Amino acid sequence: MKRARGGGDEEGPRQNGSAGRRKGDQQQSDGDDGDSAFGPADLQDDDNDPGLRREIRSKYRDLINSVQQNREDMLSPSNNKLTEVLEQANKLFKDVRQAREAALDAQLLVVATDLGKEKASQLFAEGTAFDPTAFAEHLLSFMGLNRLEDGEEEQNGGAVDGYLPQDAWHRVARRAECCFRTAPSFHYMMGSFHAEPPPPKQKTERQRKAPSKEAKRIMPTQLKKMEESHQEATEKEVERILGYLKSYYQDDPTSPISYYEFVIDPSSFSRTVENIFHTSFLIRDGLARMYLDSAKLPCIAPVEEGEVEAGGSCSRKQCIISISPKMWKELIDAFDIRDTMIQPPNTE
Amino acid sequence: MTQRKRLSATQSSSQSRRQTGSLLAQEEDDDSTFTQPSSTQVQRGLEKLTPAQVDQKTAEVVQYFLVKDQKKIPIRRADLVKHVVKEYRNIYPEIMKRAVRIFDQVFGLKLVEIDTKNHMYILVNKLETVEGASPINSPTNPKMGLLFVILSVIFMKGGVVRENLIWNTLKKLRVDPAEKHEEFGDVKRVVTDEFVRQRYLEYVRIPHTEPPEHEFRWGQRADMEVSKAKILEFMGQLHEQDPQSWSQQYREAHSTPSSTQASTSSQR
Repeated sequence: MKRARGGGDEEGPRQNGSAGRRKGDQQQSDGDDGDSAFGPADLQDDDNDPGLRREIRSKYRDLINSVQQNREDMLSPSNNKLTEVLEQANKLFKDVRQAREAALDAQLLVVATDLGKEKASQLFAEGTAFDPTAFAEHLLSFMGLNRLEDGEEEQNGGAVDGYLPQDAWHRVARRAECCFRTAPSFHYMMGSFHAEPPPPKQKTERQRKAPSKEAKRIMPTQLKKMEESHQEATEKEVERILGYLKSYYQDDPTSPISYYEFVIDPSSFSRTVENIFHTSFLIRDGLARMYLDSAKLPCIAPVEEGEVEAGGSCSRKQCIISISPKMWKELIDAFDIRDTMIQPPNTE
Repeated sequence: MTQRKRLSATQSSSQSRRQTGSLLAQEEDDDSTFTQPSSTQVQRGLEKLTPAQVDQKTAEVVQYFLVKDQKKIPIRRADLVKHVVKEYRNIYPEIMKRAVRIFDQVFGLKLVEIDTKNHMYILVNKLETVEGASPINSPTNPKMGLLFVILSVIFMKGGVVRENLIWNTLKKLRVDPAEKHEEFGDVKRVVTDEFVRQRYLEYVRIPHTEPPEHEFRWGQRADMEVSKAKILEFMGQLHEQDPQSWSQQYREAHSTPSSTQASTSSQR
């Protein structure tokens, strides 16, 4: 570090010197201008010509760019490119009139100084200086570069790497191995095992997915249950009861089916209520009809396919059936009901 | 709680860790669940366990290191405690002492804490690689060649180089960081990310540069693993020059790193 700073200091005066020289040039050129065309209007024109200003700025930028791009080449002690650049800058500075151009000149100075500093540090290095360009060349030979073919394209050959053998980098790696005390890495004998199968990814995905899945699962089941228990279940039950009614009717179409005998489940009051409820749908939809027999007891019978419409148009009557456990027991005794005509759904 | 306070007062490392700010907040969180137990605590912990249990845990730690070392990324103490040591954390120092011994005596490896602030460990080979073909014809990793070139340039240029010098040198070797290389893929990523995470390189922005420029230095792992003297030897071979002619580099190669080399050779 000390050395480098020393180099920079060493370079400092030189840069100042060149800047000083430039100042001198400028004065001189000012003088020239004054000689050739003394009119201040003319000078004004020259100063404000936007085309010329732009050109100067663009030339400065090009110069700065080329220094930055070719930095490594310019550093090599074998050429004088830095001096060339400074001379070019001196020429440009003759026409500098505005602050913006001067700022660019200053920027170039910064770049050039930096370069100068590094060049100086090379100069002051003890022993042999290390030249990365030469190193790269030697390394290419070591890697087995086919120089015969390369020949002419030495400069722009960077893009073409077909001349290097396939194992070029393996060669370097093998030679470099002895410089490394790298611990040999551990391998599984039975094939590869990836020690880290993206654990963070999986974790986040799982955490995010898990609750959403559960929510999805819960929601539909809840809905299904509601449907089944209310609408679909009722519909199914109604249809099932209609099936019973039709089959009893077909067994013996002539004998009437007593409503109470049909509906009452002697073993369960609640089943009886349910049966009454479901049977009422059959009546409402016109799929069954009720009538009083000769003993004024209610009877039930299915409505034949053809009769449906006809029945629909004829007079409809509504009634409310009420039943209490006491009535239910009395009815069971009165009709001597021993078995239900409608089997409960789960025992089917 | 009192235990931790006492420790942080005695350990300057944990104090400085506290100052490192928000960037390390995460690591600190992980690490704060773990406090280095005292020797009496370890003693008491050991009394409650059978020797077989301690051996088993030590073996797990050794395996964890070996597997994690495949990627050459330093292993954090916080991860080790969280994933392996777990409820044995009260005897952590004892387990580490045993693991170090196993690596040393069984595997010929040295377990090194390269970052005492964040508690990161790496494994380094204790045995020097014999020049020429290695006994096992293990496949070479071409990335080591790339790394070697970069480390060499940094060393030969005095320890710090601007990134441009590296990129230009690599371009001359037909490796363009802007293009996808058939062997290295995204070269820029390999150099500035992979090598940096493995602690072979340091890649730091140079202050006050616009557009931003970076510079490369040797990372902590390179300091532990790579022999400067051997790099210089290879340089001499390449340039057909006496390594001593780079007097400055020669002096550095044979002064500073010899301390680590001496310690390993004396252990052998």
